[in-house]
Amino acid sequence: MKLKSHVSALALASASLAGLADAAQAWSLEEAAKPYAGTELEVLFLDRPGYNAAIQMLPDFEAATGIKVNHTTVPYENALGEQVRDFVAGGDLDIALIDLVWIGNFAENGWLVPSETFINNPELADPALDMADFFPLVLDAFGSWNGVNYGLPFDNYSGLLFYNRCMLEAAGFDKPPATWQEVMDTYGPALTKDGKYAYALQSKRNETQSADSFARFLWPFGGSFLNAEFRSNLNSPESQAGLQFRQDLMQFMPEGIVAWDHAETVNALAQGDVAFITEWSAFYSTLKSPETSTIADCLGVAPEPAGPAGRRPALGGFSLAVASQADAAEQAAAWLFIQWVTSAANAGRYLELGGVPARQSAYADPALAEQFTFIPALVESWQEGVPEFRPRFAEWPAITEIVQEYGTRMMLGEISVEEGAREIGTQMEAVLEDAGYYSGAKPLAQ
Amino acid sequence: MTLRVPRRTIAAFIGPAVAALAIVGVAPLLYALWKSFHDFNLTQLARQRWVGLQNYQTVLTDSDFWDAIGRTALLFVSAVPVQIALGLAIALVLHRPGLTFWKTLTRLSLVLPMATTYAVVGLLAQVMLNQKYGVINQMLGWVGVDAINFIGDPTNAFIAVILWDVWQWTPFVALVLLAGLSTVPPEIEETARLETRSPWTVLRHVQLPFLIPSLVAVLILRTADTLKLFDMVFTMTRGGPGNATEFIAILIERVGNRQFDIGLAAAQSIIMLAITIVLARLYIRLFYREVS
Repeated sequence: MKLKSHVSALALASASLAGLADAAQAWSLEEAAKPYAGTELEVLFLDRPGYNAAIQMLPDFEAATGIKVNHTTVPYENALGEQVRDFVAGGDLDIALIDLVWIGNFAENGWLVPSETFINNPELADPALDMADFFPLVLDAFGSWNGVNYGLPFDNYSGLLFYNRCMLEAAGFDKPPATWQEVMDTYGPALTKDGKYAYALQSKRNETQSADSFARFLWPFGGSFLNAEFRSNLNSPESQAGLQFRQDLMQFMPEGIVAWDHAETVNALAQGDVAFITEWSAFYSTLKSPETSTIADCLGVAPEPAGPAGRRPALGGFSLAVASQADAAEQAAAWLFIQWVTSAANAGRYLELGGVPARQSAYADPALAEQFTFIPALVESWQEGVPEFRPRFAEWPAITEIVQEYGTRMMLGEISVEEGAREIGTQMEAVLEDAGYYSGAKPLAQ
Repeated sequence: MTLRVPRRTIAAFIGPAVAALAIVGVAPLLYALWKSFHDFNLTQLARQRWVGLQNYQTVLTDSDFWDAIGRTALLFVSAVPVQIALGLAIALVLHRPGLTFWKTLTRLSLVLPMATTYAVVGLLAQVMLNQKYGVINQMLGWVGVDAINFIGDPTNAFIAVILWDVWQWTPFVALVLLAGLSTVPPEIEETARLETRSPWTVLRHVQLPFLIPSLVAVLILRTADTLKLFDMVFTMTRGGPGNATEFIAILIERVGNRQFDIGLAAAQSIIMLAITIVLARLYIRLFYREVS
């Protein structure tokens, strides 16, 4: 991915617009939206804190613009299918909600409008847009494909280590584990006792297995899904070491961890049953609220432990992009909404309401870092992530199903780590072969 | 005297039903058949093409498909005999004279599991069978049984699906068999009871012949239900852990809705339809007998 050149180009574009002082003074959301007053936008949302925050902010946007944003909340597991079917059928959605692993799929099928279309339109582009203010990793991973930006980061996560400080202190630890090896050698044995466990790794057979469990132990150990030739890298010594480490670490996890999804894992920490978990930053508000957590006062947040190859934390999140199936007025209105809800000006409020913005400027305020204790860890994590934590090409929906099946069977001991990795690799390469990556029909972009 | 009904009147009565069936049943079936001959993936629309029988060849040589068929068959032979045995026992109890109020109440309560949305049944199972917080394990704890890992263990998860299926569908079997028992002429049943004190003899030689049509109906409906069992398992285990509960409908949904390979999923569905039709014909040929 041409991350730097891509971000620079966007930054230049927005900066050049920002340089137009007259335009800057003339531009206002209200004026820009006047031609589109009465337009109704359709978008899918998830039932997560970031979306609830946006929903609370919506009345302000609608009052200022006269544009109505109709949001339908769906479970994450349905969001991809709902959107694919809508775009294939030429449906109603005007805004695409893009998980980072869907961006290749959506972009290659022509379902998105590149954001430059709007950034280069002075009537629609807010002079304060400032694309360079987004964390570069996040802007690239969540909203860009093959050097072109389509979406602006909206619901942004990094994997973080959430821990029960009181439980760690009672066991004689004054800080959380900094490396996975410490978890295995020191923290695991000391904290797994009396019906309590050191660690819970959500591993249910859905995207949780491939994203939260399988991939989490590939990257910090130097492994990856694919090598430079797009062949499976899962049987490399590094990948094998990571996957075997996950297997060995299960002795410090609750029984039946392969059936645990986010809810069970977050709940286990919130109820004081496990000492730490690695979860998405979005769960901070759940764990910090006394209404949903018994350890709110004991909650600590740190970056994920590092492996031999560094930290390489889990990376996930969603961007919003304008759907190409929308008509011109809807596209313009959709851009105005996306630009507004992800703006630096709104980032503070979004954060206050439970969202996690990807604006660097939002985290510069030390007072905010004190109020939201996950901020330093989050900012640190977004410096060290890898965009292809999960490959983002159109074939990921097929590959993730393979990973989910064999990743779970590995954990259950039904097949060895080596056999499972080989089986995933063989099937993964068959999918990529079929898609045309090895014949040169498709570029090796992930 | 035979009454001649004008053809237009017949068409007017039958037409709407035929049209509705054609729209909601036949047309999608033909579309699925057509798509099953294509390489048609929603995420790769640019390359859709006619591939003839290639999807069928892929399905028939796919070990995942046959494993899922095997699991579905195992579920059927495990759950349905239990449902029939329990259903018959309940039907026989409700068929006895007396206790009218309680029998009415029981009949009403039998409808509840069937009336509960499948997906909700699965969600209930997920919560109730939770190893740490589930009410089932809490109750087992009261009698000194250690908490069981119902959902996270492959064998336990399979057994849990069987038990949940039995809970939901035994009432259906009971009500169908109760209806079957009501077709036994009372005078024949009374005469039989005067001649023997053995309830088994009455069941075997008097009631069972009248129950055969009901049992065949139960077999056909439960076979179709098992083959299309999806919602409950999807919300309960999502086919896991591993692929321990990946029944055929879960597999087809995975291929069609999560991998977006509509062509392959259509071929799987058409093969499933063929299997269902063959099984239904077999049941009727082997088991169905008119009472003489």
